[in-house]
Amino acid sequence: MPTLRVLLRSSLSLLVLITSGLHAQVFEGQQLVRASLISSTKAIVPGQPFDVGLLLEMAPGWHSYWEYSGDAGLPTKINWALPEGFRASPIQWPAPHLMVEPGDIWTYGYGGTVLLITTITPPVGLQQGSMVSLQGRATWLVCKDMCIPGSGEIRLDLPVSSVSTPENTDLFSGFRSQIPSTAKPPFTLDWKRSGTEWKVSIVDLPPGASAEIYPLPQPDQEIGHPVALGSGQFRMETDGPFRGVLAVEKDGARKAWMISSQEPTPARAQTGLWLALFYGFLGGLILNLMPCVLPVISLKVFGFIRQAGEKPAKIFAHGLAFASGIFAWFLGLAVVVIVLKSGGTEVTWAFQFQNPWFNVVIGSVVFAFALNLFGVFEVLLPGQASTALESASSSSGLGGSFFQGVFATLLATPCTAPFLGTALGFAFSQSAGVILAMFAAVAFGMAFPYLLLTARPGWMRFLPRPGAWMERLKQFMGFPLMATLVWILGIVGGQRGTDGIFWFLCFLLCLGLAGWIYGGFCGPLSKPGTRAVAIFLSIMIAGCGGWYFLGQKFADAGTVEADGIAWVPFSKKELSALQAQGKSVFVDFTADWCITCKFNEKTAIDTPAVRALLAEKNVVPMRADWTNANPEITAALKSYGRVGVPFYVIYPSGNSSSPIVLPELLTEAILTDALKKIP
Amino acid sequence: MKPVLLLLGVLLGSAHAQIGTPAPDFTLKSCDGKSISLSVFKGRPVVLEWTSSECPFVAKQYDTGAMQKLQQEALAKGVVWLSICSSAPGKPGYATPAEAVELCAKRGSHATAYLLDGEGSVGKLFGAKRTPEMYVINKEGILAYHGAIDDKKSLDPADVGVPMNYVAAALDDILAGTPVAVPYTEAYGCSIKYAR
Repeated sequence: MPTLRVLLRSSLSLLVLITSGLHAQVFEGQQLVRASLISSTKAIVPGQPFDVGLLLEMAPGWHSYWEYSGDAGLPTKINWALPEGFRASPIQWPAPHLMVEPGDIWTYGYGGTVLLITTITPPVGLQQGSMVSLQGRATWLVCKDMCIPGSGEIRLDLPVSSVSTPENTDLFSGFRSQIPSTAKPPFTLDWKRSGTEWKVSIVDLPPGASAEIYPLPQPDQEIGHPVALGSGQFRMETDGPFRGVLAVEKDGARKAWMISSQEPTPARAQTGLWLALFYGFLGGLILNLMPCVLPVISLKVFGFIRQAGEKPAKIFAHGLAFASGIFAWFLGLAVVVIVLKSGGTEVTWAFQFQNPWFNVVIGSVVFAFALNLFGVFEVLLPGQASTALESASSSSGLGGSFFQGVFATLLATPCTAPFLGTALGFAFSQSAGVILAMFAAVAFGMAFPYLLLTARPGWMRFLPRPGAWMERLKQFMGFPLMATLVWILGIVGGQRGTDGIFWFLCFLLCLGLAGWIYGGFCGPLSKPGTRAVAIFLSIMIAGCGGWYFLGQKFADAGTVEADGIAWVPFSKKELSALQAQGKSVFVDFTADWCITCKFNEKTAIDTPAVRALLAEKNVVPMRADWTNANPEITAALKSYGRVGVPFYVIYPSGNSSSPIVLPELLTEAILTDALKKIP
Repeated sequence: MKPVLLLLGVLLGSAHAQIGTPAPDFTLKSCDGKSISLSVFKGRPVVLEWTSSECPFVAKQYDTGAMQKLQQEALAKGVVWLSICSSAPGKPGYATPAEAVELCAKRGSHATAYLLDGEGSVGKLFGAKRTPEMYVINKEGILAYHGAIDDKKSLDPADVGVPMNYVAAALDDILAGTPVAVPYTEAYGCSIKYAR
């Protein structure tokens, strides 16, 4: 029995402790690895994939291995034994670290803590409220000076629900961001091959960033270890194409991309860019239809015709000069963006959409711009400024036309800012060349009618007549911005959960109110006193809203145990059973779509004081979730003459005492007072 | 395919012993105190097995009896089997001569000799990085195979009987007088604990 011998030999020194879902690998009294299975969500929603992770916490100096372990070692493995209908993805390995041992031995793995994420896809038909047990066996090898194999049963029990709240968000997002992205890295990789040697340089690595490359050989492929030559250059030997992972670390944040010596065919990237430039051109063209731009077009063109004395060539020359002015303005903007961007570096910006605060800022700006387009408020240039600009550009001649082009674009800012501002936000993630090209395309779109009409003044008759439709168009353009906001909210939801979206929307509500006050009372006709008060009020509302909702509340969303109460799902049977046992019960009739319910739960129910009282008075918290129609809950509500939620009732222990109904607008004080009355 | 692999082995292992070229000669002390040189065995195939007293990958091969069986079959065909330990004294995997004798007895090893390479010079000469890491030298003293013992990169004892054993295959080819079909594979196992 040779296998038995292994076990005996190992068991003298190696002991695997098994506690519910948590394993400690102990060697000669030292704990080497703590392994546990953790979830990214508090509940399973039928049919909706979610992430779980094998968390390996290694003792100092010990490490486990990546999917390609290098010269020695063995990758960690999970053999799942999932319930019927569940599917598990392969392990999504975060970028590893290099470990070099004496004798030129290179291995790839993880020290400290690593989370190996697997996506679980549950089946659609799951019983709400039931518990699901995810089980499997994890095997790993940990090495320091010596190597010790470890393994353990891993297990995670999760309830099935209609909604899920994120859990362990920091841990998951920290490791998820290190899983190599299949997107093109935001750097230029310059590959060169000579014989079996590849050389790659990362051309535009930002200052202060460090790069590493890890190889991922094909099953029968021998890849030499990538050797860093300094300043973003690497050398590796291989017989075929090189495939691997590029990891870049900057300011403590680490991000990774899949790379391959077979560069993606440039044709594809080219068409993508051309399409983007075409959209930029269209966007510029549409800017001409904005209320503060369209009336100007015919005025300007008539002005050129008057100046040029009807000579076609001269008219077109003025048109060209005017168009150059527009280009100068936009290219100037592009240069500002590039300068700002170089301050932050590309990598920093590539990380930004993973930062919830960046999404909050962009989302708020997009929302404010949309309100602006809807006409809730307008941004006007101060009167003196516009007069000064007009006089500066009133000189005649081609120079005058050029400056008119610059200032016409500047004066159109109140209408164009919402689009340009939004485009700017996304432009940050592009390279300098692309930014210049994009802004040039927008400038070309905006200058296009001038060029066309100065070339063919007769076509002026085709110009749409200014009118009320322009206002409608402007308002309509607010909707694409709102769609952008919806998209951003989706990202925020992924990062901070429903709570995060909720608090962010609360802030947007304040922002909207502030914008409305500013728009209503700060027009050019309002008295200075009214203006001052209105501006003060707007700033206060937006500021306090930001402080209150985005401060602690948003910051905590999804990261802390938001619901610390162990709710028992409502059923009449269970309620009667608990009452028969002589227990007090607090029932929370709620639904996810009920804002008051959520507000009460967050401010009055799930608070430390209430949690303490529930425990002290031995009150069973019961939740009647009415998110989806539930006849039993409807009947229970009806018995109290209610047709909706929220509704709160306490059944004190003892048959004689009658149920206590609490008000819909619950406060912590009302609830604690009621709970204190329970014997 | 074969010439490519051969060429690759030559290029990759440029600093070390190269497949298809004469294996470098060396002399090491065995655990019973004898000085043993590779050149003595010219005319017979030689297997070099890098080993360790600690490594679970080595333990998998010995505890399941697979390594001893392979050694026994090889020796029966006139093959020389040298187990080499390149762990530095004091580092994991190192065994003093006395401990090595005990280890070979406990394992039931059939190796011709257990050689101590505490300085790591022979390990580095051959470019060995792992335990187990295998080299097969043909009758003419040419390095004919370098790499893993088998194609099952795992620690599961159940995998030992099943896999393709590259050493057995290389020895069969050498004894049949045909070129070795798979001259290079990537070895897997624990890292050798060199002094530097």
